[in-house]
Amino acid sequence: MKNIIRIIIGLIITCVLAGLVMGGVFTLTHEKKQENEHLRFQETMLGLLGFGKGNPAPQDLRFVSIYRYTLEDPKDPERKDLGYIVPVFKDEKEVFKLLIMSQEGEFKKALDLNLAMDKAMEEQERQKALEQTLGKGVKLSFGDAIILAKKGNERIAFLLPGRFPGFKTVIKVMLALSPEYTIKGLEIMEHEEDPGLGGEITQDYFRNQFVGKPFSKLVELKVVKEPLPDEYRKVLEATRGHVSSEQEKALSQYKDREIYALTGATISSRAVTEGVKNIVRNFAYRFQNLEKVLASQGLSPAF
Amino acid sequence: MAATTKTNSELFFNGLLNENPIFRLALSMCPAVGLTTTMMNGLLLGTAVTFVQVFSSCTIALIKDYIHPRIRIPTYTFTIATWVTVIDMILAAYVPAAYKEMGIFVKLIVAFAIITMRLETFACKNNVVKSFWDGLGMGLGFMFGMMSIGFVRELLGMGTLFGYKILDFRPLLFFVLPAAGFFCIGLMMAIFNYVEFKMKSKGGKR
Repeated sequence: MKNIIRIIIGLIITCVLAGLVMGGVFTLTHEKKQENEHLRFQETMLGLLGFGKGNPAPQDLRFVSIYRYTLEDPKDPERKDLGYIVPVFKDEKEVFKLLIMSQEGEFKKALDLNLAMDKAMEEQERQKALEQTLGKGVKLSFGDAIILAKKGNERIAFLLPGRFPGFKTVIKVMLALSPEYTIKGLEIMEHEEDPGLGGEITQDYFRNQFVGKPFSKLVELKVVKEPLPDEYRKVLEATRGHVSSEQEKALSQYKDREIYALTGATISSRAVTEGVKNIVRNFAYRFQNLEKVLASQGLSPAF
Repeated sequence: MAATTKTNSELFFNGLLNENPIFRLALSMCPAVGLTTTMMNGLLLGTAVTFVQVFSSCTIALIKDYIHPRIRIPTYTFTIATWVTVIDMILAAYVPAAYKEMGIFVKLIVAFAIITMRLETFACKNNVVKSFWDGLGMGLGFMFGMMSIGFVRELLGMGTLFGYKILDFRPLLFFVLPAAGFFCIGLMMAIFNYVEFKMKSKGGKR
């Protein structure tokens, strides 16, 4: 008996000490970690637009985000609505509104949202604001974000973070689309494909094959198992990370080509191609619906 | 077993060569098979393991007199898990570039056999200084093993080293696949044993 008590006390003390150490380090490093993640995200966004070292972003460049949520009413679990957190102009000021519409694009409700402009990036803050507006009963799940890059009042690109299954696990990507839905760039954010095989999806000569593909080509894009022609490979590899506007032009000459599969990684190549297609297709459909609804409601969106 | 009589430098080289975790003790084979596709992986994982091993060894050597013998193993696991988490958080906060590459590996270290084994057989019987040198030697020995396997597999599988092109072609694509890890480790272990056998028979002793 005495032994058991000693063991229990020993274990408790160990746990408490371990907890204290980990908690202490967490409080010291948490903020810095989140800052780093935001920084990386920001860098990727700028990189996709062709800005970075040597080509700094202009002063009037800004990003506007729209967040999509799926809302599930507990009384009627079959019906799932879409909830968009959209920035709109109200009395010359930007505020967030929650637009609820059906999957098919029928407008349902527009609600005010108590969410500060600079806090929207944090998922917890958004969750809190949504719960406050909708009440606790509604089940929320975050879908994805649409980020609009604007220079002054002109739209220069859509940035679409997305995820899809790869050969092994989920691949996280960010896509840049021009206002006409032509692909401007593809960045692989996270993946766990085999190094040397599927891992090659991060290489310029694969990623850049998507650049310059217009929407009409993209919806029927296929993967072909053919060797990559040398001259095309040269154009693809010339970019070294950032795609400049001349390189974009050079790449758009090849816009009718299919995607050349990676050697020994056809499944990964197909997964990325299908994933990108789905992201763009879903985005185009949803964004059109959203714009229609906004126009019909007389709201002036801040994007 | 009583406290060791070896000197600090003997302890250090012991982990590196005589009792190399991968080639001699055959511990922590999962990462040695799964993650050694490139030399960079070996270097990053080796660094992380060295830190965790040194910190855990020192902690256990410090508190060894207070641990109830019945709950040794849980205490070791707690210690290792704590240090792994701490290192994970620190890397994420202050060295984001390295964390991007290493993040997924660091969390795996909790389950590495080599660390628990060193705590059980060495740190809980020796003082802090000796445990430090033993941990450092074992960690670096692990890194050495991982990097030498990575060297062979990366060079033969992809024709690169540390991501730089060395060969213009890819000799044997097979080497980047997990199955090749077994072949590679088996062959290298055999080479290690052969060299040791030759050295011993040359010396004419034993």
